[in-house]
Amino acid sequence: MAGATVTVPSYGRRRRIKPTVPLSYLTALVILAITLVPMLFVILGGFRTTAQINSSPTGLPHPWVWSTASFWENLGNSAMIAVIATALAVGLGAMAAFALSRYDFRFREGWYLVFAIGLLFPANVASLPIYLLLKHINLLDNPLGVALPEAAFSLPFTIIILRPFMRAIPGELQDAAVVDGASRLTFFLRILLPLSRPALMTVSILAFVTSWNAYLLPFLVFTSEGHFTLPLGVATFQSTYSQNTASIFAFTALSMLPALAFFVLAQRRIVGGLSGLAGSVKG
Amino acid sequence: MSGLTRAAAAVADPTAAVVSATRTEKTRGPFWRPSRKLIELVVLLTPALALFTFFVLLPICVAAYYGLFNWSGYGALSDFVGLHNYRLVLDDPVFRESVLHNVIIAVLSLVIQLPLSLALALLLNRRMKGGTLLRLAVFAPYVLSEATTAVLWLLMLQPGGFVDQLFKAVGLGHEIKLWLADPSIVLYTLFVVVTWKYIGFGIILLLAGLQGVPVELREAAAIDGASPWQVTRRITLPLLGPTIRIWIFLSMIGSLQLFDIVWIMTIGGPANSSSTMVTYMIENGFRSLEFGFGSAVAVILFIISFVFALLYQRFALRRDTAGALTRAVG
Amino acid sequence: MRSTRKYAAVTVAAVAALALAACSSGSSGPSSGSGGSHKTSGPVTLTWWNNATANPLKGVYLSAISAFHAANPKVNITDVPIQNEQFLTKMPLALQSSNPPDIFQQWGGGQEATQIKSGKLQNVTNMVSSLITQLGPAAAGWQVNGQQYGIPYDLHMVGFWYRKDLFAKAGIKTPPATLPELNADVTKLKAAGIAPIAVGSKDRWPDAFYWDYFAVRECSIATLKTAVKAISANYPCFAKAGNALKTFMATKPFQVGFLGTPAQVGAGSSAGLVANGKAAMELQGDWDPGVMSALTSNKKFVSQIGWFPFPSVPGAAGSPTALLGGGDGFSCTTTAPEPACVNFLSYLDSAAVQEKLVSTADVGLPANPAAASALSLPAERQILALSQSASYVQNYFDIAYPTNVGQALDNAVADYFAGQGTPTGIVTAIDQAAARQ
Repeated sequence: MAGATVTVPSYGRRRRIKPTVPLSYLTALVILAITLVPMLFVILGGFRTTAQINSSPTGLPHPWVWSTASFWENLGNSAMIAVIATALAVGLGAMAAFALSRYDFRFREGWYLVFAIGLLFPANVASLPIYLLLKHINLLDNPLGVALPEAAFSLPFTIIILRPFMRAIPGELQDAAVVDGASRLTFFLRILLPLSRPALMTVSILAFVTSWNAYLLPFLVFTSEGHFTLPLGVATFQSTYSQNTASIFAFTALSMLPALAFFVLAQRRIVGGLSGLAGSVKG
Repeated sequence: MSGLTRAAAAVADPTAAVVSATRTEKTRGPFWRPSRKLIELVVLLTPALALFTFFVLLPICVAAYYGLFNWSGYGALSDFVGLHNYRLVLDDPVFRESVLHNVIIAVLSLVIQLPLSLALALLLNRRMKGGTLLRLAVFAPYVLSEATTAVLWLLMLQPGGFVDQLFKAVGLGHEIKLWLADPSIVLYTLFVVVTWKYIGFGIILLLAGLQGVPVELREAAAIDGASPWQVTRRITLPLLGPTIRIWIFLSMIGSLQLFDIVWIMTIGGPANSSSTMVTYMIENGFRSLEFGFGSAVAVILFIISFVFALLYQRFALRRDTAGALTRAVG
Repeated sequence: MRSTRKYAAVTVAAVAALALAACSSGSSGPSSGSGGSHKTSGPVTLTWWNNATANPLKGVYLSAISAFHAANPKVNITDVPIQNEQFLTKMPLALQSSNPPDIFQQWGGGQEATQIKSGKLQNVTNMVSSLITQLGPAAAGWQVNGQQYGIPYDLHMVGFWYRKDLFAKAGIKTPPATLPELNADVTKLKAAGIAPIAVGSKDRWPDAFYWDYFAVRECSIATLKTAVKAISANYPCFAKAGNALKTFMATKPFQVGFLGTPAQVGAGSSAGLVANGKAAMELQGDWDPGVMSALTSNKKFVSQIGWFPFPSVPGAAGSPTALLGGGDGFSCTTTAPEPACVNFLSYLDSAAVQEKLVSTADVGLPANPAAASALSLPAERQILALSQSASYVQNYFDIAYPTNVGQALDNAVADYFAGQGTPTGIVTAIDQAAARQ
């Protein structure tokens, strides 16, 4: 097609296609409505009093009614645990991916398969056995008791995503590094990792979000409320303050904000990562 | 030993070592020499392997063992019952019902969510005004935790609450049901909530996959006289195949481990009409203080997930992931 | 270079976070330290898990804490209210961790016996012997093998709470005394467009009250005692009870959507429905007025509420004056500092606090008989009189039985309410769970 002088009408601009354009916008609006209205409902609900909510659930807010309760504590706990889990998963995962991608040794694919198996294994299913394990090693009601299993369960997708990226780094770079007298460690830290940054960001975000949103494991592990993470806090708040519907709305709305804010900031990376994922498995 | 000699030689004559190294490497690809390799491998692999084995593999083995006992969680393991717990689980109609519920959710996802996501992705696959905002909004529910989503919808689905009022407002007042209290529809209510949460993810994933379908192909087909529907069916969809298969895989795994939303909204009720495999495990393992039984459930669930995933990998994903491992990613 | 620094920064952050996690977990435990009961001389802080998530009870607890602290400056108590339904899941988890709360809500019976297996409940027999004598026979519900592991602070009887105004509206002059009368009243209420009986079926244990009471009506007192001891329901009268339940449910006496209605959470709960005049009756414990007051803005409802005992069943072999009841108490865990813990629990049983509990908070009947005069609601005085003249008080079965059996019972009855299973299936479920003991 290069050099053709015939003007080919672009697919999207053909007259025949026009009817779908307004349809697309209509669809977009509908989707926007379905997606955003529930969230708005909760956010606006936090501005009303319980009596108002009980009498007219779909009204608009009046004066601001709000009690933060344990929100900031939950937020801090979620953040701390997510950071630990992500750092461990990505750190250890990168090292393992490096070994599995640029070393040749017996049973390498076997070891890779061992990690890949973890992908097939839903974390929630393991929660009861993990709980019993944590009981044995005395890590109950301890943030590490949540962060470590979360890191472990994030290892499979971390390694599976990082390995092809690291594999794809040309061997010439490695040779050049050797010529410069660099050790493998230096190569890993100073060349490979920076080059893998897009993939590292993707897996970091995935691990972070997975940890941040986890409910079942924190639910089982934490007994003292001072340790609760945000999802746990939201659910507990809802039952403890059941008659104070307005507070529940406010708390839930607040708990949505960090996730949404984070998403707005990182959305390019997240969507990009998904593109990478989709792209990496093209036939 | 040869490693040491080579290392010694390298110290003595660096250039020669490099030359010999590259010479060997070139025959085997971009891999390091075997010397010192073992130590480095151990250092690199062991931490991840240890963490993984201890928290992912070990629990299941431990659970298999506990499943052989009757145990209230207090005190020592004393009441050995062999495979009795496993038999009890498989015989329990409530368990089978729970598995059925998971299957229903999985099938509904396939039959409703997938076509919906596809249709929406195809419709939205164009440069539109506010496209970024749209993607943000569509994807937002995915970022919320399942717990928050559950509380959100619990508030909206109260009798006489937001959803009911909405129905009345659009004239569908007679269609109002007891969303969370009617055993025959509660599972489907939960499915709607799950769909709300995950459809954005599906759309974005498929949109990403659509980027990989070359416009030129579609244009060429259009020039050849293919209708838009034929183009979609014959070209876009097949090329989208790998992405769709990944979506299916993720969706199935998600359906198998559904817990948070169900637990917070209905605790699997009323009367187990919305129970899932994991809520069954928590209900019967924790709340009833029967950890031996609960462990048996965990092992059975693991086997179910594992078998499904293995079969799926083998038959559906194999050719996709094979490509992923050897291709250089652009 | 940049990447190394980044890597290093991440490592430092991770290590810092790890250290923070380790430290925070260490300091989160009770500052009393580990080990069994021991006398501490420094200030101590106790965590107190109770189900008082709402006022007025919550307020009464908080004032009790400050009064106790004023008298014992070295003792601080942290109030941790937990919603009742969460208790059932969290308590076993807490008792299995190394960090259980110091004081937690205890309903006694077989449930307590199960918890004792964890080794985390403190045997307080020697520390409160005089208090137990003062409390009288009620304290026996918190004993296992004659040893005291919990201390009650209130007692409960279960009966029907009803709205006098709604009864009047339906043309019902007096509350029903027999089951046929109750069925007739249900019909009258339905004719008047009022939901006859509210039940919080979502939480399951309210359903069990119905089965329990039919069992109490059908079974002789001797059989009831034997059944609890043997952890079984394999006696003919229990099957009869199941059938009586079946007949009762055939009259469809409950509110619309009762399967999804919680018992105490929100204005749409069964308690909330009665409090707001949306249903006429509820079979509940005597804590209900306290729960209801938090769920409605209608402050007049207290004067509109009445109580009548579960009606007698014609032709039933059991005692028509037997009551279903229980009570609330608290247990100290082995990590709780003593004597601070038992001192506080004894303080809760002092006349002053007991009077506040029964009058302001309407918790039910006082554990301490000396505070009986403080009962403010006429209904509660009625209940007290009845409890004293009752032929027998049966502990609700899901507490009387060990935990897993009690849960199986609740599940089976709730399933039956939802139209699944059979009345005999309930008996089978109990026995099967007992076999897994």
